[in-house]
Amino acid sequence: MVERENTRTDDVPLDDKAKRMRDLLSSFYNPDHSSAPKAPSNYENLDAIDSTSFDPDHYMNLLVQQSNLEGLLRRHVEMAAEIKNLDTDLQMLVYENYNKFISATDAIKWMKSNIVGMEANMEQLLDKIMSVQSRSDGVNTSLFEKREHIEKLHRTRNLLRKVQFIYDLPARLAKCIKSEAYADAVKFYIGAMPIFKAYGDSSFQDCKRASEEAVIILVKNLQGKLFSDSESIQARAEAAVLLKQLDFPVDSLQARLLEKLEQSLGDLQLKTVGIENILRESNDPSKQGKAFESIPNTGHEVSVHGFAEAIRAYRVIFPDSESQLIKLAQNLVIKHFEMIEQCVKRRISSANFLGALRTIWTDVLLMDEVLSEAALPDFSLEAGQVTVKKYVASTFTYLLQDISDALLKVNVSPKEAAEEHPLQVALEASKKTVLQGSMDLLLDFRQLLDDDLGLLVKLREFIADWVQEGFQDFFRALDDRFLILSGRKNSTSQDQGFSDGALGEKVLVGIVLVLAQLSVFIEQTAIPRISEEITASFSGGGAQGDENGHAFVSGEICQIFRSVSETLLHHYINMRTQRVSTLLRKRFTTPNWVKHKEPREVHMFVDLFVQELRAVQSEVKQILPEGLMRKHHRSDSNGSGNSSRSNALLDDKMSRSNTQKARSQLLETHLAKLFKQKVEIFTKVEYTQESVETTIVKLCLKSLQEFVRLKTFNRSGFQQIQLDVQFLRTILKENIEVEEAIDFLLDEVIVAASERCLDPVPLENPILEKLVQVKLAKSKERSK
Amino acid sequence: MQGGSSGIGYGLKYQARCISDVKADTDHTSFITGTLSLREENEVHLIRLSSGGTELICEGLFSHPNEIWDLASCPFDQRIFSTVFSTGESYGAAIWQIPELYGQLNSPQLERIASLDAHVGKINCVLWWPSGRHDKLISIDDENLFLWALDCSKKAAQVQSKQSSGMLHYLSGGAWDPHDINAVATTCESSVQFWDLRTMKKTNAIEHAHIHNANYDMKTNHILVTAEDESGIHIWDTRKPKSPIQELPGHTHWTWAVTCNPEYDGLILSAGTDSTVNLWMAPTSVEDEAITESIAESPAQQADPLLNSYSDYEDSVYGLAWSSREPWIFASLSYDGRVVVESIKPFLSRK
Repeated sequence: MVERENTRTDDVPLDDKAKRMRDLLSSFYNPDHSSAPKAPSNYENLDAIDSTSFDPDHYMNLLVQQSNLEGLLRRHVEMAAEIKNLDTDLQMLVYENYNKFISATDAIKWMKSNIVGMEANMEQLLDKIMSVQSRSDGVNTSLFEKREHIEKLHRTRNLLRKVQFIYDLPARLAKCIKSEAYADAVKFYIGAMPIFKAYGDSSFQDCKRASEEAVIILVKNLQGKLFSDSESIQARAEAAVLLKQLDFPVDSLQARLLEKLEQSLGDLQLKTVGIENILRESNDPSKQGKAFESIPNTGHEVSVHGFAEAIRAYRVIFPDSESQLIKLAQNLVIKHFEMIEQCVKRRISSANFLGALRTIWTDVLLMDEVLSEAALPDFSLEAGQVTVKKYVASTFTYLLQDISDALLKVNVSPKEAAEEHPLQVALEASKKTVLQGSMDLLLDFRQLLDDDLGLLVKLREFIADWVQEGFQDFFRALDDRFLILSGRKNSTSQDQGFSDGALGEKVLVGIVLVLAQLSVFIEQTAIPRISEEITASFSGGGAQGDENGHAFVSGEICQIFRSVSETLLHHYINMRTQRVSTLLRKRFTTPNWVKHKEPREVHMFVDLFVQELRAVQSEVKQILPEGLMRKHHRSDSNGSGNSSRSNALLDDKMSRSNTQKARSQLLETHLAKLFKQKVEIFTKVEYTQESVETTIVKLCLKSLQEFVRLKTFNRSGFQQIQLDVQFLRTILKENIEVEEAIDFLLDEVIVAASERCLDPVPLENPILEKLVQVKLAKSKERSK
Repeated sequence: MQGGSSGIGYGLKYQARCISDVKADTDHTSFITGTLSLREENEVHLIRLSSGGTELICEGLFSHPNEIWDLASCPFDQRIFSTVFSTGESYGAAIWQIPELYGQLNSPQLERIASLDAHVGKINCVLWWPSGRHDKLISIDDENLFLWALDCSKKAAQVQSKQSSGMLHYLSGGAWDPHDINAVATTCESSVQFWDLRTMKKTNAIEHAHIHNANYDMKTNHILVTAEDESGIHIWDTRKPKSPIQELPGHTHWTWAVTCNPEYDGLILSAGTDSTVNLWMAPTSVEDEAITESIAESPAQQADPLLNSYSDYEDSVYGLAWSSREPWIFASLSYDGRVVVESIKPFLSRK
C-alpha cells in the first residue's frame, strides 16, 4: 500500500482522474492482482504509472529525455496535486469503515440480550399440546361402541333387502316376461345367480326352482324370438346375446339357424333352376334376351335379396360365424356357375349367357354388400373365368359340330338329293357355316367384350386371349376333323364319340373333294376375314399371351389349310384312281391272256371306267371352278401330227416285230422318244375341273399301262387291248379335254401291249372302226 | 430336273425289270441284271463300277433262255444267282452259276445249278437270306411258299417244306427278315403275311391293300417298309401291325419298289412307275416313335423326309438295289433297260 501510495503520488494524469480513482480503490478490495500486469504494453506510456510493474527510474529517464524543463515542472505540479488528492481520499475511506464496524457491534450486543427467556415459553407450549391430545382420545373411545352397532344394523338391512329380492325374483321375472323386458329379466337372474349357486340347495330351494322355471320360459321366448323372421334383426340379435348370457348352448342354435339358411339357399336354387328352365325354353331368338331382363327382376332377385338379408341378420346375430357364411355364399356362387356351365353344355346364345352372368353378378354384388369378407367378387371372378373359358371353348365345339353336320348331310342322304347337286349344296352350306358361324361367334364374343358387367370387364383381356386361342385351336381341330372325315386319319385314336356315327361307314368320295375345296375357301376367304375381325376387336389380350404362344396366327393356319387342301385333293384323286385300279386289276388278273379269244366287242371294263369318270366329272363340276385357261390345248395341226407320228411309230414297231428285226426295236423307240419331246405326264394338280379330271384319267391310263406290262398276250389279247383303247380314246375325246399326255398314254398302252405280245398283229383299221362304232351306238342307245 | 447328270448310265439291249447287288463280291461294286424280252434272246449282265466310280463296265454277258422277271444274287457266292423266268405261257425258276472261265470263252453259258421246279403257277420271286451263308432258299409263286434246301456242290435243290397261302390270297412277293432266319414276310393283294419257316405257319399279318413290295430294315429289327399302289410308302413295326409308324408320300403313280439302305439308318429308296427314284430320310428306330407322332400332329413343322428325287428316267423304274459294299451307291433300272448308278453322298452330309 505504501508503495502504491508512493507511486500514486509520483504522478497522476489529469484527464480521467475520477475513473482512475475508482479503479484503484476497487482494486484494494479485489484480491485478484492478475489484472495488474495488464499494462506492460503501456510501459512507456505515462498512464502506466498505476501498474505494479512500474519502473520509476525508467520513467524518470524517459520523462527527462522527452520533456523540456517547462514540461517537467508542469509534470511535477500535476503529480503533487494528485498525491494530495489520493491522501485525502484514503483518509475518508478509513473513517467510513470504522463507523460501520461500530454499528455492527452494537447490533450484536442487542440480539444477545433479547434471546434469553425464549426457552421457557417453548416448554409451556408443549405441555398444552399434550393435554389436547389426551382429551381427543377419550372422546374417541367413548363413541366407538355406538358406531359399531350402527354399522352392524346397516349390514343386516342390506342382507334382508337381498333376501327380499331373491324371494321376489320369480314374480319379478314373470312380470318382466310379461312385459317382454327380457334384458332386465336376464340381468336380474344373472344377479341372483351367485346366491343360487351358494344357497340354492338349502335355504332358497323353492325360490330357485320358481325362478328357474321362469328362466326356462324366458329362454323359450327368446328362442322363439330368435327364430321368428318377423322380429327385427336388432331384437333377434339381442335375443341371441341374452341367450348367450344365460349360458344357453348357442352353438346348436347357430347350427340350426345356419341350417335354415341353407334351406333357404336350396329354395333359392330351386327358383333359379326354374329360371334356367325358362331360359332354355326361351331359346328362340325373338324372346332371347328379353327373358333375362324380365325374370331376374321378379322372383329371383327377391329371393336373393331375402337371402342377403338373412345373411346380414345372421352375421349380426352371430358375429363370429363368418367362415360358415362365406362357405355358404361361395356355395351359392358355385352352384350358380355350375348351372351356367350346364347350360353352356347345351349351347346357348351369348345374350342368354350374358344374362345369366349378369344375374349372378348382381347376386354376387348383393351378397358382397352383406358379406364383404367372403371376397365374393374375386371368388366369382375365378369361377367366372372358368365358365367363360368353357363357354368360349364350347361355342367353338359347336361351330365345329355345325360344320361337320353341314358336310355330313350329304353323307346321310345322298340318294334323296341325288337329282340336285348334293355336293355343291354341301359345299355351299359348309362354306356358309364356316364363315357365318365364325362371324356370329365373333359377334357373340364382341358382346361379351363390350358388356360393362363388372365380371366381364375384369375378364376382358382373358376373353380376348381365349378367343384368339380358341380360333387357333378351332382351326387346328377343323383340320383334324377334315382329315378324319376324309378317312385319311384313323379316327380311332382321336375324337370322342363323333366318329362312330356316320363315319363308321365308308366315306363318300365326293366329300373329300368338298373338303378340299372348303379348305381352299377357308384359307383364302375365311381366315383373312376372321383375322381381320380379330385384330379389329380382340387385339387386346396379352394377359397370358406369350407364355402359351396361343395367339391366333393366321399365317400358320393358312399354311395348315393349304397343305390340307392339297392333301385332300390328292386323296380324292387317289381314291378315285384306286377304284379304277381295282377295276383294272380285276380285268387283268382274271382272264388267261395267252389264250384270249378274238375280240368281238369292246370289253365292259371300259364302260365301267367311263362310268367312274362320269362320276368324277359330276362331282368335280359341282365343286371345282372351271379352269380359266385350257392348258395343253393343242391346235389341230399339232395334235394330228403328233398322233399320226405315234401311230406311225406304232405301226412301224409292229411290222418290225413281225419281221423279226426287233433287235433294233428298242433303240428306235428310244430314238423316237428323243425326238418326241418327253411328255410330262404328271403335272401339278390345280383346283380346276379340268386339272383334276385329266389327272385322274392320266393316273388311270398309267395304271392300265402298268397292268398291261405285267401280262403276256396272244394276238387276240393284244387286239382286244387295242380295241378297248381305241374305244376309250374316242369316248375320252368326246367327254373331256384330251391333252397330249393322255393321247401319249393311250399310245403307250398299245405299245406296252404289243411289247408283251407273243404275236403282235394289230386289228385292221376298218374292223377296229367298225367295232368301235358298234359299241358307240350301243352305249348311246343305252343312254337313251 | 435335279440330279440329272450325276448318274452313271449303262444300257441294256432290251427292256428289263430286275437288278441285284452282288453282295458276295467284296472287291468290286457290282450289280447283276437281266432283260425282259418276250421274243428275243435274253441276257444277264454282270456290271461292275470302275474303281474310279465313273464308269460302268460290263464284266460278263450271258445269255439266258427266257425273259427274266426276278433276279437275285447269292449273298455268299458272287458267282451264283437265281432267276425267275417266263416263256410267256409258263414260269420257271432256277439257280445259276457263272462259269469260272467266262473271260476266255466266246459265248459263255450259264451253268444251271438247280431248277426250282415244284411250282405250278406264276412264280414271283426267289429269296436268299440276306445276312449271310444259309443253305435255304425261298421261292414264292401265286399261291405257295416253298422252302428249298440248296446244295451247291451237289447242284441240287430240294423242296424242304411248302405252304399254301390260303384261299384268295394271291401272293405277289416277299422279304426275308435279315434279323431272323426263320421269319419271312410275303405280300399279297390285301395284306402282308408273316411266316415262321420252322412250322410254316402264319404268325402275323398286316392288313393293308395293294402292297407291291416289302423290305426289311437291315439295321433295325422289326422294321418293315412297304410300297403300295396309291398311298405310297409305309413303315411298320412288325410287332404293331395295326397302324404304320410312319407314312411317306411315295410316288405320283405306283410305288413299285422300296429298299432300305444296308448301312445308314432310315435311308429309304423307292422306285415308281412315275419314272422317278426317290430318296427318303425316315428315322425308323423305335424310340423315335414319339417324335413321329408329334410330327404327325404338326405337319407344318415336319422336315421334308424326301431328300432327293431322281427323275432322269424315260420309263417306269422297277429295279432298285443298294450296293452293300459301298452303301452310298445304288443302282436303278428303268423299263427301257437303262441302268443308272447314283451316289447319294451329297445327301448324306445333310444328316
